Amino acid sequence: MAVIEAIATTYLEAAAASVTFSSLGSYEHLQIRVSGRDNYAGSGGNNLYIRFNGDTGSNYSTHSLYAYNGSNTAVDKYTGQAYVYAGGYISGPLTPAAANYGVTVIDILDYGNANKNTTMQQMSGLVADSSGNSFLQFASALWDNTAAVTSILLYPPSGSFERGTEMTLYGIQE
Amino acid sequence: MAAWTHIAHSSLSLPAATVTWTGISGSYDHLYLKMSTRCDAVSYSTNIYVNFNSDTGTNYSETQLYAGTATPTSYRASGQTKLQYSGYSTGTSALADTFSSTTMWIPNYANTANFKQTLTSSVSPNNSTTDVQWLVNTTAGLWGATPAAIHTILLTSFSSDFVAQSTFDLYGVTGA
Repeated sequence: MAVIEAIATTYLEAAAASVTFSSLGSYEHLQIRVSGRDNYAGSGGNNLYIRFNGDTGSNYSTHSLYAYNGSNTAVDKYTGQAYVYAGGYISGPLTPAAANYGVTVIDILDYGNANKNTTMQQMSGLVADSSGNSFLQFASALWDNTAAVTSILLYPPSGSFERGTEMTLYGIQE
Repeated sequence: MAAWTHIAHSSLSLPAATVTWTGISGSYDHLYLKMSTRCDAVSYSTNIYVNFNSDTGTNYSETQLYAGTATPTSYRASGQTKLQYSGYSTGTSALADTFSSTTMWIPNYANTANFKQTLTSSVSPNNSTTDVQWLVNTTAGLWGATPAAIHTILLTSFSSDFVAQSTFDLYGVTGA
Protein backbone atom coordinates (compact mmCIF):
# COMPACT_ATOMS: atom_id res chain seq x y z
CA MET A 1 0.00 0.00 0.00
CA ALA A 2 1.35 3.40 -0.93
CA VAL A 3 2.09 5.83 1.89
CA ILE A 4 -0.01 8.55 0.28
CA GLU A 5 -3.16 7.53 -1.56
CA ALA A 6 -5.87 9.44 -3.34
CA ILE A 7 -9.05 8.43 -1.49
CA ALA A 8 -11.44 10.35 -3.69
CA THR A 9 -11.47 13.02 -6.36
CA THR A 10 -14.46 15.20 -7.16
CA TYR A 11 -14.44 17.05 -10.46
CA LEU A 12 -17.54 19.16 -10.97
CA GLU A 13 -19.08 18.79 -14.41
CA ALA A 14 -21.76 21.27 -13.33
CA ALA A 15 -22.12 23.86 -10.59
CA ALA A 16 -22.68 22.37 -7.15
CA ALA A 17 -23.46 23.92 -3.78
CA SER A 18 -20.98 21.77 -1.91
CA VAL A 19 -18.61 18.83 -1.99
CA THR A 20 -18.65 16.14 0.68
CA PHE A 21 -16.09 13.46 1.41
CA SER A 22 -17.66 10.77 3.56
CA SER A 23 -15.46 7.70 3.11
CA LEU A 24 -12.22 8.70 4.74
CA GLY A 25 -10.60 5.33 5.26
CA SER A 26 -8.01 4.50 7.91
CA TYR A 27 -4.97 6.70 7.63
CA GLU A 28 -2.88 8.77 10.02
CA HIS A 29 -3.38 12.10 8.28
CA LEU A 30 -5.53 13.64 5.55
CA GLN A 31 -4.74 16.19 2.90
CA ILE A 32 -7.18 17.94 0.57
CA ARG A 33 -6.04 19.72 -2.56
CA VAL A 34 -8.50 22.14 -4.10
CA SER A 35 -8.66 23.99 -7.37
CA GLY A 36 -11.81 26.04 -6.91
CA ARG A 37 -14.04 28.79 -8.22
CA ASP A 38 -17.53 29.89 -7.18
CA ASN A 39 -20.35 32.05 -8.53
CA TYR A 40 -20.92 34.14 -5.39
CA ALA A 41 -22.16 37.36 -6.99
CA GLY A 42 -20.02 40.43 -6.56
CA SER A 43 -16.92 38.68 -5.32
CA GLY A 44 -13.48 38.22 -6.80
CA GLY A 45 -12.44 35.55 -4.35
CA ASN A 46 -13.88 33.84 -1.30
CA ASN A 47 -12.95 31.80 1.69
CA LEU A 48 -13.73 28.12 1.51
CA TYR A 49 -15.97 26.99 4.37
CA ILE A 50 -15.65 23.56 6.01
CA ARG A 51 -17.68 21.47 8.42
CA PHE A 52 -16.74 18.16 10.01
CA ASN A 53 -19.16 15.31 10.63
CA GLY A 54 -22.11 17.53 9.73
CA ASP A 55 -21.70 19.56 12.90
CA THR A 56 -23.49 22.90 12.59
CA GLY A 57 -22.86 23.96 16.18
CA SER A 58 -20.77 26.96 17.17
CA ASN A 59 -17.71 24.81 17.61
CA TYR A 60 -15.21 26.16 15.11
CA SER A 61 -12.34 28.62 15.46
CA THR A 62 -10.14 30.02 12.71
CA HIS A 63 -7.02 32.17 12.64
CA SER A 64 -5.61 33.32 9.33
CA LEU A 65 -2.68 35.38 8.15
CA TYR A 66 -2.88 36.75 4.65
CA ALA A 67 -1.46 39.11 2.06
CA TYR A 68 -3.53 40.89 -0.55
CA ASN A 69 -3.54 43.66 -3.14
CA GLY A 70 0.18 43.60 -3.58
CA SER A 71 1.37 45.22 -0.38
CA ASN A 72 -1.14 44.61 2.41
CA THR A 73 -1.10 42.04 5.19
CA ALA A 74 -3.83 41.25 7.69
CA VAL A 75 -5.17 38.76 10.19
CA ASP A 76 -8.63 37.28 10.64
CA LYS A 77 -9.60 35.52 13.87
CA TYR A 78 -12.91 33.98 14.77
CA THR A 79 -14.25 31.60 17.38
CA GLY A 80 -17.67 30.19 18.13
CA GLN A 81 -18.55 29.89 14.47
CA ALA A 82 -20.65 27.20 12.82
CA TYR A 83 -17.98 26.38 10.23
CA VAL A 84 -14.29 26.76 9.51
CA TYR A 85 -14.19 30.27 8.13
CA ALA A 86 -10.82 30.17 6.37
CA GLY A 87 -10.68 26.64 5.04
CA GLY A 88 -9.04 27.79 1.83
CA TYR A 89 -9.47 30.36 -0.92
CA ILE A 90 -11.29 30.11 -4.24
CA SER A 91 -11.90 32.41 -7.18
CA GLY A 92 -15.15 34.35 -7.53
CA PRO A 93 -17.03 35.57 -10.59
CA LEU A 94 -15.28 38.95 -10.64
CA THR A 95 -11.90 37.34 -11.14
CA PRO A 96 -11.41 38.35 -14.76
CA ALA A 97 -10.44 35.08 -16.37
CA ALA A 98 -13.09 32.42 -16.07
CA ALA A 99 -10.32 29.86 -16.26
CA ASN A 100 -8.66 31.22 -13.10
CA TYR A 101 -9.22 28.89 -10.14
CA GLY A 102 -7.85 29.48 -6.63
CA VAL A 103 -5.62 26.81 -5.13
CA THR A 104 -5.64 25.38 -1.60
CA VAL A 105 -3.79 22.62 0.26
CA ILE A 106 -5.36 21.55 3.57
CA ASP A 107 -3.65 19.29 6.13
CA ILE A 108 -5.68 17.54 8.82
CA LEU A 109 -3.39 15.63 11.17
CA ASP A 110 -4.34 12.62 13.28
CA TYR A 111 -7.97 13.00 12.26
CA GLY A 112 -9.02 9.62 13.66
CA ASN A 113 -7.73 10.18 17.19
CA ALA A 114 -10.70 10.36 19.56
CA ASN A 115 -8.52 11.98 22.22
CA LYS A 116 -7.94 15.11 20.21
CA ASN A 117 -10.01 17.96 18.91
CA THR A 118 -9.64 18.17 15.16
CA THR A 119 -7.18 20.80 13.99
CA MET A 120 -6.09 21.73 10.50
CA GLN A 121 -3.83 24.11 8.64
CA GLN A 122 -4.11 25.35 5.09
CA MET A 123 -2.15 27.34 2.55
CA SER A 124 -4.06 28.94 -0.30
CA GLY A 125 -3.64 31.51 -3.01
CA LEU A 126 -5.30 33.27 -5.88
CA VAL A 127 -3.29 35.33 -8.34
CA ALA A 128 -4.99 38.16 -10.24
CA ASP A 129 -8.37 38.46 -8.57
CA SER A 130 -11.11 40.97 -9.42
CA SER A 131 -8.92 44.02 -8.88
CA GLY A 132 -6.03 42.56 -10.80
CA ASN A 133 -4.41 41.86 -7.48
CA SER A 134 -3.75 38.68 -5.57
CA PHE A 135 -4.42 36.87 -2.32
CA LEU A 136 -2.23 34.53 -0.27
CA GLN A 137 -3.44 32.94 2.95
CA PHE A 138 -2.07 30.69 5.70
CA ALA A 139 -4.57 29.61 8.34
CA SER A 140 -5.34 27.27 11.20
CA ALA A 141 -8.67 25.94 12.33
CA LEU A 142 -10.03 24.09 15.32
CA TRP A 143 -13.12 21.94 15.60
CA ASP A 144 -13.93 21.65 19.31
CA ASN A 145 -14.90 18.01 19.20
CA THR A 146 -12.83 14.92 19.90
CA ALA A 147 -14.81 12.62 17.64
CA ALA A 148 -12.92 10.98 14.81
CA VAL A 149 -13.60 12.83 11.58
CA THR A 150 -15.90 10.77 9.38
CA SER A 151 -17.06 13.33 6.86
CA ILE A 152 -15.87 16.65 5.48
CA LEU A 153 -18.18 19.19 3.87
CA LEU A 154 -16.67 21.99 1.78
CA TYR A 155 -18.78 24.86 0.45
CA PRO A 156 -18.54 28.50 -0.65
CA PRO A 157 -20.00 31.29 1.53
CA SER A 158 -22.85 31.73 -0.94
CA GLY A 159 -23.82 30.41 -4.32
CA SER A 160 -22.17 27.33 -5.76
CA PHE A 161 -18.86 25.98 -6.87
CA GLU A 162 -18.39 26.48 -10.59
CA ARG A 163 -17.97 23.72 -13.12
CA GLY A 164 -14.34 22.70 -13.29
CA THR A 165 -13.76 22.90 -9.54
CA GLU A 166 -11.73 19.90 -8.48
CA MET A 167 -10.98 18.52 -5.03
CA THR A 168 -8.92 15.49 -4.14
CA LEU A 169 -8.77 13.88 -0.71
CA TYR A 170 -5.55 12.07 0.15
CA GLY A 171 -4.83 9.68 2.99
CA ILE A 172 -1.32 9.52 4.41
CA GLN A 173 -0.25 6.37 6.24
CA GLU A 174 1.72 6.20 9.44
CA MET B 1 6.36 10.23 -9.93
CA ALA B 2 6.94 11.08 -6.34
CA ALA B 3 7.06 8.15 -3.98
CA TRP B 4 6.69 8.43 -0.26
CA THR B 5 8.15 6.08 2.32
CA HIS B 6 7.10 6.15 5.91
CA ILE B 7 10.37 6.09 7.84
CA ALA B 8 9.24 6.43 11.44
CA HIS B 9 6.21 6.99 13.62
CA SER B 10 6.31 8.03 17.26
CA SER B 11 3.09 8.17 19.24
CA LEU B 12 3.58 9.07 22.87
CA SER B 13 1.77 7.04 25.49
CA LEU B 14 3.59 8.93 28.25
CA PRO B 15 4.96 12.47 28.40
CA ALA B 16 8.44 12.88 26.95
CA ALA B 17 10.75 15.86 26.55
CA THR B 18 12.30 14.67 23.31
CA VAL B 19 11.77 12.52 20.26
CA THR B 20 14.82 11.35 18.34
CA TRP B 21 15.14 9.66 14.99
CA THR B 22 18.54 8.16 14.25
CA GLY B 23 20.03 6.23 11.39
CA ILE B 24 17.98 8.02 8.77
CA SER B 25 18.85 6.53 5.42
CA GLY B 26 20.28 8.85 2.80
CA SER B 27 18.43 7.09 0.02
CA TYR B 28 15.59 9.61 -0.35
CA ASP B 29 15.53 12.98 -2.05
CA HIS B 30 13.70 14.89 0.67
CA LEU B 31 12.42 14.46 4.21
CA TYR B 32 8.97 15.49 5.38
CA LEU B 33 7.77 15.68 9.00
CA LYS B 34 4.25 15.83 10.34
CA MET B 35 3.74 16.51 14.04
CA SER B 36 0.57 16.74 16.08
CA THR B 37 1.75 17.94 19.47
CA ARG B 38 0.79 19.41 22.81
CA CYS B 39 3.06 20.04 25.78
CA ASP B 40 2.66 20.40 29.52
CA ALA B 41 4.02 23.95 29.74
CA VAL B 42 1.67 26.53 31.22
CA SER B 43 1.33 28.43 27.97
CA TYR B 44 -0.79 28.73 24.88
CA SER B 45 2.04 27.86 22.52
CA THR B 46 5.56 26.57 23.19
CA ASN B 47 8.52 26.13 20.87
CA ILE B 48 9.71 22.82 19.49
CA TYR B 49 13.49 22.80 19.12
CA VAL B 50 15.09 20.93 16.22
CA ASN B 51 18.70 19.72 16.06
CA PHE B 52 20.35 17.80 13.25
CA ASN B 53 23.09 15.17 13.72
CA SER B 54 23.43 16.13 17.40
CA ASP B 55 24.97 19.46 16.40
CA THR B 56 24.58 22.04 19.17
CA GLY B 57 26.96 24.57 17.68
CA THR B 58 25.81 28.04 16.74
CA ASN B 59 24.97 26.93 13.23
CA TYR B 60 21.23 27.51 12.96
CA SER B 61 19.39 30.49 11.50
CA GLU B 62 15.71 31.18 10.86
CA THR B 63 13.35 33.67 9.28
CA GLN B 64 9.71 33.50 10.26
CA LEU B 65 6.40 35.10 9.41
CA TYR B 66 3.75 34.70 12.06
CA ALA B 67 0.69 36.09 13.73
CA GLY B 68 -0.58 35.75 17.28
CA THR B 69 -2.24 39.14 17.32
CA ALA B 70 -3.98 41.25 14.69
CA THR B 71 -0.59 42.31 13.31
CA PRO B 72 1.45 39.96 11.10
CA THR B 73 5.08 39.97 12.21
CA SER B 74 8.39 38.77 10.86
CA TYR B 75 11.48 37.83 12.83
CA ARG B 76 14.98 36.69 12.00
CA ALA B 77 17.57 34.97 14.16
CA SER B 78 21.04 33.59 13.51
CA GLY B 79 23.84 31.95 15.46
CA GLN B 80 21.39 29.73 17.31
CA THR B 81 22.20 26.33 18.75
CA LYS B 82 19.02 24.83 17.29
CA LEU B 83 16.06 25.67 15.13
CA GLN B 84 13.79 27.17 17.72
CA TYR B 85 11.05 28.96 15.80
CA SER B 86 10.23 26.18 13.36
CA GLY B 87 7.59 24.33 15.30
CA TYR B 88 5.14 24.93 18.11
CA SER B 89 3.00 22.92 20.52
CA THR B 90 -0.13 24.02 22.28
CA GLY B 91 0.31 24.20 26.05
CA THR B 92 -1.95 23.63 29.00
CA SER B 93 -3.50 27.11 28.75
CA ALA B 94 -5.02 26.28 25.37
CA LEU B 95 -8.35 24.50 25.04
CA ALA B 96 -8.13 20.94 26.39
CA ASP B 97 -7.47 18.17 23.87
CA THR B 98 -6.25 20.67 21.29
CA PHE B 99 -2.98 19.83 19.58
CA SER B 100 -0.77 21.90 17.31
CA SER B 101 -0.18 20.94 13.71
CA THR B 102 3.31 21.20 12.21
CA THR B 103 4.72 20.16 8.84
CA MET B 104 8.37 20.52 7.81
CA TRP B 105 10.12 19.92 4.49
CA ILE B 106 13.85 19.25 4.42
CA PRO B 107 14.81 19.21 0.74
CA ASN B 108 17.97 17.49 -0.48
CA TYR B 109 18.81 16.49 3.09
CA ALA B 110 21.38 13.85 2.17
CA ASN B 111 23.75 15.91 0.06
CA THR B 112 27.22 16.61 1.43
CA ALA B 113 27.90 19.78 -0.55
CA ASN B 114 25.28 22.23 0.66
CA PHE B 115 23.83 23.64 3.85
CA LYS B 116 20.39 22.30 4.74
CA GLN B 117 17.32 24.46 4.44
CA THR B 118 13.95 23.73 6.02
CA LEU B 119 10.46 25.05 5.40
CA THR B 120 7.94 24.76 8.19
CA SER B 121 4.28 25.56 8.73
CA SER B 122 3.09 25.35 12.31
CA VAL B 123 -0.16 26.39 13.97
CA SER B 124 -1.37 26.44 17.56
CA PRO B 125 -5.17 26.67 17.33
CA ASN B 126 -7.37 27.73 20.20
CA ASN B 127 -10.96 28.76 20.83
CA SER B 128 -9.91 32.32 21.48
CA THR B 129 -9.29 35.50 19.55
CA THR B 130 -7.34 37.12 22.37
CA ASP B 131 -3.79 38.17 21.55
CA VAL B 132 -1.09 35.50 21.97
CA GLN B 133 -3.61 32.81 22.84
CA TRP B 134 -3.23 31.35 19.34
CA LEU B 135 -0.50 31.23 16.68
CA VAL B 136 -0.04 30.73 12.96
CA ASN B 137 3.58 30.52 11.87
CA THR B 138 5.69 29.74 8.83
CA THR B 139 9.48 29.60 9.03
CA ALA B 140 12.46 29.09 6.77
CA GLY B 141 15.36 27.48 8.59
CA LEU B 142 19.05 26.97 7.84
CA TRP B 143 21.49 24.49 9.31
CA GLY B 144 24.80 26.04 8.29
CA ALA B 145 27.25 23.56 9.75
CA THR B 146 29.82 21.85 7.57
CA PRO B 147 27.62 20.17 4.98
CA ALA B 148 26.71 16.63 5.92
CA ALA B 149 23.85 14.29 5.21
CA ILE B 150 21.19 14.45 7.91
CA HIS B 151 21.08 11.12 9.70
CA THR B 152 19.65 12.20 13.06
CA ILE B 153 16.82 14.52 14.03
CA LEU B 154 16.19 15.57 17.63
CA LEU B 155 12.90 17.23 18.55
CA THR B 156 12.76 18.88 21.98
CA SER B 157 9.82 20.48 23.75
CA PHE B 158 11.08 23.75 25.24
CA SER B 159 11.17 23.53 29.06
CA SER B 160 8.39 20.96 29.05
CA ASP B 161 7.31 17.52 27.93
CA PHE B 162 5.28 16.57 24.92
CA VAL B 163 2.10 15.08 26.34
CA ALA B 164 0.65 11.66 25.61
CA GLN B 165 -1.17 11.38 22.28
CA SER B 166 1.41 13.62 20.60
CA THR B 167 2.40 12.03 17.30
CA PHE B 168 5.45 12.44 15.09
CA ASP B 169 5.84 11.07 11.57
CA LEU B 170 8.91 11.13 9.36
CA TYR B 171 8.62 10.47 5.63
CA GLY B 172 11.18 10.06 2.88
CA VAL B 173 10.16 11.39 -0.52
CA THR B 174 11.82 10.46 -3.78
CA GLY B 175 11.34 11.76 -7.28
CA ALA B 176 9.40 14.87 -6.34
